[in-house]
Amino acid sequence: MEPDYIISWKVAGIALGLLLTLATALVQPLGVSTQFVVSDAVVAHKVAPEFAESNAYLSKYGEKEDWGVGYGWMLVLGMFVGGGVAAMLLRKRQPQQDKGSMPSMWQARFGDSVVKRDMAAFGGGVLLLFGARLAGGCTSGHMISGISQLAVSSFLFGVTAFGAAILMAHFLYRTRQG
Amino acid sequence: MSTLIIGFLIGCAFGTILYLSGATSYRRILGTLRLQDMWIIKLMATAIGVGTLGIYLLDLGGLAHMSVKPAYLWGVGLGGLIFGVGWAVSGFCPGTCVVAAAEGKKDAMFTVLGAFVGAFLFSLAFPVIESTLISRANFGSITLEDLLGFNGIYIAIPFSLALLGLAFFVLKDRYE
Repeated sequence: MEPDYIISWKVAGIALGLLLTLATALVQPLGVSTQFVVSDAVVAHKVAPEFAESNAYLSKYGEKEDWGVGYGWMLVLGMFVGGGVAAMLLRKRQPQQDKGSMPSMWQARFGDSVVKRDMAAFGGGVLLLFGARLAGGCTSGHMISGISQLAVSSFLFGVTAFGAAILMAHFLYRTRQG
Repeated sequence: MSTLIIGFLIGCAFGTILYLSGATSYRRILGTLRLQDMWIIKLMATAIGVGTLGIYLLDLGGLAHMSVKPAYLWGVGLGGLIFGVGWAVSGFCPGTCVVAAAEGKKDAMFTVLGAFVGAFLFSLAFPVIESTLISRANFGSITLEDLLGFNGIYIAIPFSLALLGLAFFVLKDRYE
């Protein structure tokens, strides 16, 4: 049987833990969700500068002189480039089940509609970032980096995020009783 | 300036690891959340196990640049719940949707788009949210070290071993 992975969770987990340690030694831990705000703020300052300055949250990022595009933003750009290049080079080795924009698990449960899948992906994205900004971080910043620093807030985030996600996944894939 | 380059390179490595390990895959994420495929749980437990040990060893030498997020209980708790629902519905998190979009997955591009909208909606709601959910019950940037009152390395070592043990010996690969 073909392996259904390119690298195992063991290799990936150890590599990610070492990368986090390296990042903490050199600059600061990993984080992603803040950068969506930074990007929004950069655009807002371009398109509607008065609005951006009047907004208590956006005005913290994306200043005219200093866009706030720093270590964190470059990190997310790197994720896009690194992930994209890896995908180009290793596409052949990627397991069939991990390919494509229509997951077979989704398809079996919710049908073939691409619009339905994309709307769920969009709506999920809205909730992801609203929740992440409210909580102050996401899977990388709170769960991986935060729990590794033994941060109290990150343990709370880990429990509530995993709890809600597990309940929601079971609700979405509940089996109908005849 | 060099900080920007370091950030970019660390990001490249991070994105590559997420792609190679299948963390950008819907079947892995939903498999985990449906408690069937333990891949992502094991990956995260291993990463946190190694990371905790690494960070607190750095801290012993005074070399860790920590960044501990403040514990405002209502905002963090409610934010976690909302995030969790979005996670299960989209099958991505803010990091993996970026990498999956780079892979060319169209659903992930919609998640990225939604994420920009969600961040924007949050910025509109921020004034109300700050006075209600963030400034109340805010205990600041506290860690278990502060809470328990002894050196974090004594918490980090058993905690790391427990997570690594869970990933390597306790959890099975799949549950039906």
